[in-house]
Amino acid sequence: MAQILVVDDSSTVRDEVASFLRKGGLDVATAVDGKDGLSKLQADPKIKLVVADVNMPNMDGLTMVEKIRSELRNTTVNLVMLTTESSPNMKERGKAAGVKGWIVKPFNGPSVLETFKKLAT
Amino acid sequence: MNDTPVSKILVLDNSTEHAQLIKSFCDENNLVALKVRNSSVMSVLRSNVDLGGILFSESYGDTPAQTAAIAAEIHAARPELPIIIRREQQATLEDLPPQMHRACCAAYTAHDTGALRKILDEYIFCLIYPNALLRGIAEITTSVLATQCKSLTVRLDTPYIVRDRVIFGELFSLIQLESAWCRGYMMLQTEETPFMGLLGKTRNTQVGFRDVNDLLGEITNLIWGAFKNRYIGDAARAAAKQVQVPVIVNHKHRYISFGSENPQLCFRFTLTDPTSDVATTLYARFVFNLSWSPEDFKEIPQEAAGLVESGELELF
Repeated sequence: MAQILVVDDSSTVRDEVASFLRKGGLDVATAVDGKDGLSKLQADPKIKLVVADVNMPNMDGLTMVEKIRSELRNTTVNLVMLTTESSPNMKERGKAAGVKGWIVKPFNGPSVLETFKKLAT
Repeated sequence: MNDTPVSKILVLDNSTEHAQLIKSFCDENNLVALKVRNSSVMSVLRSNVDLGGILFSESYGDTPAQTAAIAAEIHAARPELPIIIRREQQATLEDLPPQMHRACCAAYTAHDTGALRKILDEYIFCLIYPNALLRGIAEITTSVLATQCKSLTVRLDTPYIVRDRVIFGELFSLIQLESAWCRGYMMLQTEETPFMGLLGKTRNTQVGFRDVNDLLGEITNLIWGAFKNRYIGDAARAAAKQVQVPVIVNHKHRYISFGSENPQLCFRFTLTDPTSDVATTLYARFVFNLSWSPEDFKEIPQEAAGLVESGELELF
């Protein structure tokens, strides 16, 4: 059972983010793409926050968050994108899908830890 | 970093009379010249995978036949490298033996370096790269390497133009760059073993080739993302449906072709562990093989692109 699901196709990013959050006292699960993210979220009702990349194979992060709201009908989980993308159009699409926050990579753990803790409880 | 790209060339010219002139010409025209004895041409060629071209002399060999044979051998080994021949009398290829004629792309005389400059502009410096773009790529790439390889120092050489298509090292990544003003690829190339060694030291653990692959992938992704945010914006959508050409990779010859004659813009980084002085090299190469319109180049204003610093959470 985890509080946060980190979804990124890069194991470098998954390991970095998950390891930082675990050291910060959070329970973290990981997924390798949007499809994997959807199934992990479906299988674990304790997850309160999903931190997802946008550009991923199989299913991109924005499609995943749209499906979380529309197909899984999960309206309570908090969604944050962690991505190299910063275009206003992408952010608008994220907002429309219920994304709560956006981080342009690289990940800066200390600056977001407290907010992640709030979003994950 | 110097904003003007240079190009590394082999100077195969034994003339003592013209040596100073060629050296001065190279210094004044952003050429990094490597003078090579005819006994070691092929070994020098093998050890340099980032050349822009060759300045050759019609009297380079001990005999005309040997000169022609050297030119032919170079051309056979690296046909993508322009061989520019210095003639004694006339700047022409017409009266050269057929073997030489096929190998050389242009001729010049020592008395007319203006013509040589035009030849360089045609064969090596044929694409114009805006200074802001060169500076931006250097900043982006240096910053990404610094964040991903935190304990290493990152040194960048002056960017340079490469006609070679030989792949450096054992490992490379490739990602498309698509915009209204440029279409092509970015490649990162490096050597696996030293890179793995440095990564192992920074992580203080044993790492395998997949860890190196993954880190190179993430570095590529971060550079691509920053490039896109700074220079491309949403124009990528408009460009996404245009024509493509096959990219050919020949593993045996460590060779990659993007299907065009365009040179590559190359940034060479040295990553060093300051505690041991162990270093490795990483090349970032940009090839705009599908479209290049520097006149339409534009930078997305920073205030529009990044209201929130990278790494910071922007709450909606």
